[in-house]
Amino acid sequence: MEIVVAVKPVPEAEARLRASADGSGLETDGVKFVLAGYDESAIEQALLLKEAHPPSTVQVLSLGPAARCEEVLRAALALGCDRATLVEAAPSGPLADPMGVARGLAAALRGKKFDLLLVGKQAGDDEEGVVGSALAQLLGVGYAGFVTDLRFDAASGHFRFRRTVERGTELWEAPVPLLVGLQQAWNDPRTAKLPAILRSRKQPIERFDAASALEAAARSLGAAFALPAPRTGAKLLDYRSPQEAAEKLVRALREEAKVFP
Amino acid sequence: MSPTVLLVVEHLDGVPAPATLEAAGLGKALASPQGRLVVLAAGSSARKAAEALAAVGAGSARLAEEPAWDLCPPSALGSLVAATARAEGAEVVLIGGTCFGRDLLGGAAAAWEAAAAAGVTEASWEDGGLVVRRPVFGGRATETRRLEGGRAIVALRPHAFPPLDTTAASFEASPSPPSGAAPASTLRRTGFEPGASSAGPSLSDAAIVVSGGRGLRSPENFGLVEELAAALGAAVGASRAVTDAGWRPGTLQVGQTGKTVTPQLYVAVGISGAIQHLVGMVGSRVIVAINNDPSAPIFRVADYGIVGDLFEILPALTAEVRKARAG
Amino acid sequence: MVDFSLSPEAESLRDMARKFARTEMAPHAAECDRTPRFPEEIYRKAHELGLMNLNVPTELGGSGLSLFEQCLLVEELAYACGGMTTSIIANCLALEPLLLGGTEEQKQRFLAPFCASYHLASFCLTEPSGGSDAGALRTRARADGQGYVLDGEKCFITNAPHASLYTVFASLDPALRHKGICAFVVPRDAEGVTTGKDEEKMGHRASSTSTVRFDSVRVPASDRLGAEGDGFGLAMRTLDQTRTPIGALATGIAQAALDHAAAYALKRESFGKPIAQHQAIQIKLANMAQQVHASRLLTWHAAWTIDHGARGTLESSIAKCFASDAALHVADEAVQTFGGYGYMKEYPVEKLLRDAKLTQIYEGANEIQRTVIARELLRGYS
Repeated sequence: MEIVVAVKPVPEAEARLRASADGSGLETDGVKFVLAGYDESAIEQALLLKEAHPPSTVQVLSLGPAARCEEVLRAALALGCDRATLVEAAPSGPLADPMGVARGLAAALRGKKFDLLLVGKQAGDDEEGVVGSALAQLLGVGYAGFVTDLRFDAASGHFRFRRTVERGTELWEAPVPLLVGLQQAWNDPRTAKLPAILRSRKQPIERFDAASALEAAARSLGAAFALPAPRTGAKLLDYRSPQEAAEKLVRALREEAKVFP
Repeated sequence: MSPTVLLVVEHLDGVPAPATLEAAGLGKALASPQGRLVVLAAGSSARKAAEALAAVGAGSARLAEEPAWDLCPPSALGSLVAATARAEGAEVVLIGGTCFGRDLLGGAAAAWEAAAAAGVTEASWEDGGLVVRRPVFGGRATETRRLEGGRAIVALRPHAFPPLDTTAASFEASPSPPSGAAPASTLRRTGFEPGASSAGPSLSDAAIVVSGGRGLRSPENFGLVEELAAALGAAVGASRAVTDAGWRPGTLQVGQTGKTVTPQLYVAVGISGAIQHLVGMVGSRVIVAINNDPSAPIFRVADYGIVGDLFEILPALTAEVRKARAG
Repeated sequence: MVDFSLSPEAESLRDMARKFARTEMAPHAAECDRTPRFPEEIYRKAHELGLMNLNVPTELGGSGLSLFEQCLLVEELAYACGGMTTSIIANCLALEPLLLGGTEEQKQRFLAPFCASYHLASFCLTEPSGGSDAGALRTRARADGQGYVLDGEKCFITNAPHASLYTVFASLDPALRHKGICAFVVPRDAEGVTTGKDEEKMGHRASSTSTVRFDSVRVPASDRLGAEGDGFGLAMRTLDQTRTPIGALATGIAQAALDHAAAYALKRESFGKPIAQHQAIQIKLANMAQQVHASRLLTWHAAWTIDHGARGTLESSIAKCFASDAALHVADEAVQTFGGYGYMKEYPVEKLLRDAKLTQIYEGANEIQRTVIARELLRGYS
């Protein structure tokens, strides 16, 4: 099976966020970028399928600034992906126009054969989740997001999977090729082993120029980026008994915060 | 301005989803004073859904009533949305940001060649263009985006907008099917299992979430969290420590490696507030923390805090909530 | 030119260790300390990820890291739990004599199968009658024509109850002092090898420590490392290699203490403002930060020196001695910053103080380190 995983570098969870000098976006200088958690889950899924259905290969793709993408691609190689492609595009920050990202990835994948294309449900930074479904439309393949428990039935050539939605779980099946947005928190992504990390530093990374694919009439541009006034910390309730604490909290939620049901 | 706003309806057997009613409220505001709000509904009970929307103020409807739409995945509606938006000359398409809305957003934008934004909590016209605001990085920052090019499709964050007021009502009933898209997908739905916790709301959908952490000390004690959640009509969440230890399933995990939730009220019980947890809940409107450690980071993001023994506080709080809701 | 920046490669190794430390080790650190418990599942995972036999070349199944890289990893692990780190890196210490003094045949025979799956090894040098005076070993190795027979007792042996392999130092004749010492590889299942009860320790309680007894244990001559009498030199060269990571371990504990203290000082209020705004606390934090920073740089420098081919006895002794003294001091000041809360087991800093203490004692007590430093230093003046 030919499996492709599209991944995105995101600022690490501990990163201190600041607005850029012109105020339109995130200041990325000094911010460490890592593989998004949802993408780790997608890679894990790809590797599980690869192991269950030999011979299979896993190719990983990332679009964006080269240095940042190279690091997450190497992380993916260290986890066990076979090939890595850096889709080079005009400078685009972590909050780039998601439709531009989808067009760039589509350009890199158009005409390439694959059975399964995986994306994380939504990137950990901007939570767009737009790229997966847009990419499917652009490539003309079926798409489902919020997917868990993805399996491949080699005899029928069909995938079977679950889709967790608000009111329950749907069961689906679909033939190859398929594009899937994964719901996290159901597989436990592996950790790269130390020798594999060292090996990944020396593996080649393919490059694809997608700069021209990003231009379009309709686009979404970052205009301002604001950090909320730092929360001043909790108003701690004074109380002499648990009952008093409970009464004070319910009163505050009802009368001040107005969120009591 | 006289923009046309197209509202994509999510419905279950003709009953619109709460997220759709929220989107309808914004749609009406964006279409006023001289624009039009058009609804698009698909499936065999599309008419019933459109009528329910009409009752709360939608102007006209486009219906795709072939039963085949019932069986399609949401992503298959992308072409239908694009064809309808073209036919109506829409400037903006609105969708509730549920699983349904999120799955069709990108595909619809690609088919319509539009700009797209998800997780939106504010939207308005500025200088003739649509400007949206949305929390990013798990609510740690807010981003403003201009959607340029005269075609924008926007998915709204659940609970961010008030549902449309039901008093307004005027329905220009001229349902007509949009052309240019047929129900077609390689995906086939083979079954449905109602949510395991069918008693309460689901985690990503709930207006109130009560989460428990390591401070509960044992899986049995976690029942205290569930009792408070039941009293509040809330969904139950958990920190990674709880799901890793197997006290509760991983589907309840809130945080970087679990779900991101943005309820009106988030109650964190016995959760210290590691950054991995905070990024999954800090976008909640009001946060309450109950913890015995006054230096726990959770108190830094909480609005209200009770420093104390949760084994004493929780039963008292559950009793007080029951009393307050009964009264 | 000197370069203090980390290569992308080194950063990715550090990040990996940090992730392991914070997600796998830290959540269990308090419980393993309190119970106490030897978390074998964590050690198995450490092995699986290549975090255990750091100094063994990759051809033999280890991770083949430079000393500098080892130190980066050890600091990250120790940040989460000093005790677990001691158990995780004990193999490096136990296997180093084999790496330094073993023949190719011995390395293949012992190390390849050992590294292929989860195994622990212990370094058996210290004895009940003395640790610092390593020349005065009482454990005897009697040559009997076909090999040797070992008799004696070793104490404070890390991982001993769980180990499958021991590197043992024993004397052919105590009268020969240093010159009579030999090093042997002894499998745990050799007849006559027994371990004592798990010691109840002040800190490093996630690690396991016991005595090891050798009662007429037969060791073939083919399991001796180096020539007869090479043992003492092998032990000293081993400690030259493994001392520096103890500096890294101490730095990790100290960094954790500083981080806890600073976070608490920003949160805790007295006299109407966070205590971090009181000069008394600011001075404390500033001094702690200096100690942590200096510990790290001394450790990096010692590792760099040794990686560049020098023996580095002076540098590694300075790093180990300074960083361990600093760790105790920084942990002490962290407890003081927390005040009464710091003395409570519910808060993490008192454990750091107990864990820091051991770093002054093991792998060459700081008194010995100072003796070594003075000797190396004075050599340059005489």
